[in-house]
Amino acid sequence: MKELFDFISRHSKWFVLVIYLVLSSILLFNSDPYRHHLWLTSSSAVGGSIYSMGNSITSYFNLRETNDDLNRRNAELEAQVVNLREELNRMRLSQYTDTMPTPDSVQHFNFIVANVINNSIHHPHNYITIDKGTADGVVAELGVIDHSGVVGVVSVAGEHYSQVISLLNPNFRLSCKIRNTEHFGSLVWDGVDPTVALLEELPRHTRFVCGDTVVTSGFSAVFPAGIPVGTILDNAENHKENFFTLKVKLFADFTRLSNVQVVINNRRSQIMEVDSTRVGGDSNPANR
Amino acid sequence: MNRTSLSLLITALILIPAQAVFFNHLVLFNVAVPLAFIFVIITLPVTYSANRAMTIGFLLGLAVDALSNTPGVNTLCCTLLAFMRRPIFHLYVPTDNDLAEQRPSLRTMDTASFLKFALTMCVVYCALIFTVEAFQIFNFWQYLLRIVFSSIYTFVIIYALAGLSGSSSHEKRL
Repeated sequence: MKELFDFISRHSKWFVLVIYLVLSSILLFNSDPYRHHLWLTSSSAVGGSIYSMGNSITSYFNLRETNDDLNRRNAELEAQVVNLREELNRMRLSQYTDTMPTPDSVQHFNFIVANVINNSIHHPHNYITIDKGTADGVVAELGVIDHSGVVGVVSVAGEHYSQVISLLNPNFRLSCKIRNTEHFGSLVWDGVDPTVALLEELPRHTRFVCGDTVVTSGFSAVFPAGIPVGTILDNAENHKENFFTLKVKLFADFTRLSNVQVVINNRRSQIMEVDSTRVGGDSNPANR
Repeated sequence: MNRTSLSLLITALILIPAQAVFFNHLVLFNVAVPLAFIFVIITLPVTYSANRAMTIGFLLGLAVDALSNTPGVNTLCCTLLAFMRRPIFHLYVPTDNDLAEQRPSLRTMDTASFLKFALTMCVVYCALIFTVEAFQIFNFWQYLLRIVFSSIYTFVIIYALAGLSGSSSHEKRL
């Protein structure tokens, strides 16, 4: 026994090294962003406070208030546009049916304005920290947009801060379509250029020209249909024979992200309930 | 807690948030990232045992990861760098003679030796961190450029920090 202890004591640095490497590897290879622990992300109270302090030093105090006001008004207008678009679709449908649809007084989408207090674009997996949390109504798996397009999805929500999986994160796939067509594909970042993403799995018979706008498909409870994402740059290398892979120039400028809006779908619970009953459904929440 | 440990703790408490809030945003041409917090590992007293150094490296990396949303990346690399610190140091300062309980710096070491030691530590750390990241997304040229330019960028910042940190004049030269 004594010899065993002597052996361990003599080679303790190797044992300590292995223990620390195993612990680090557990953190490293736990790739599901929704399983991050709150205290190990920048949305924890300490991390959020540090970023808030840093942010308050770098942003101009007076401009901030004005900017918040403009963003709030923008969010209201955005909500109106989405709701009016839905109303228009409902009216169009009613022309083809012999019964009138049930009037819906509940607004479908609401928006919460938030400030970006931390953002990265140079890591293989990028995240954003915003200054709104569960106390403000933000929960995990809500969509995040800015004035120009889609930004990401909330992965971890703390009380006053939340971590958002950026669109510049290969764990995040967004269901998109080319505007005015019904052909949809999956948008994913390839880790090269923070201004360009790839629209994969688009059927070969899809008609498009460079410069066409790519928008969200609306096939989930996270983003409304028609939110702009980017424009088609060109046809990238084809990975699969029956599908196109297109390069998309993103509308959102991730190098200058300052204010964003968290999208709250008021019918989310109903959609999730229906989705959960689906047999063999897509269980990965990062696929949006 | 002695004076050296207190000074290390203060350095870490300044550099960890500074890395997250300031240095992480000073990225040049989307390839060069200054990893200034490794200054803490570079200036760990040489007489610290490997276990102690690795524990400090592990906790330092964990704190940086928690603030930078890079779970495990810096924790792993800081632990390995702390483990390799002493062999790297002895590449440039061959004997254990005169190793007092003091931190490697421009004042306690001959300037050329300190700079060579700091540059090697920067290159090793950058190679480690970008190799770990390459397992997630691999692009050979980006990988190479990141190692080279981030090492240079980090070295310049470490040199500046070493110049700024006023080690007390009573410390002996190694």
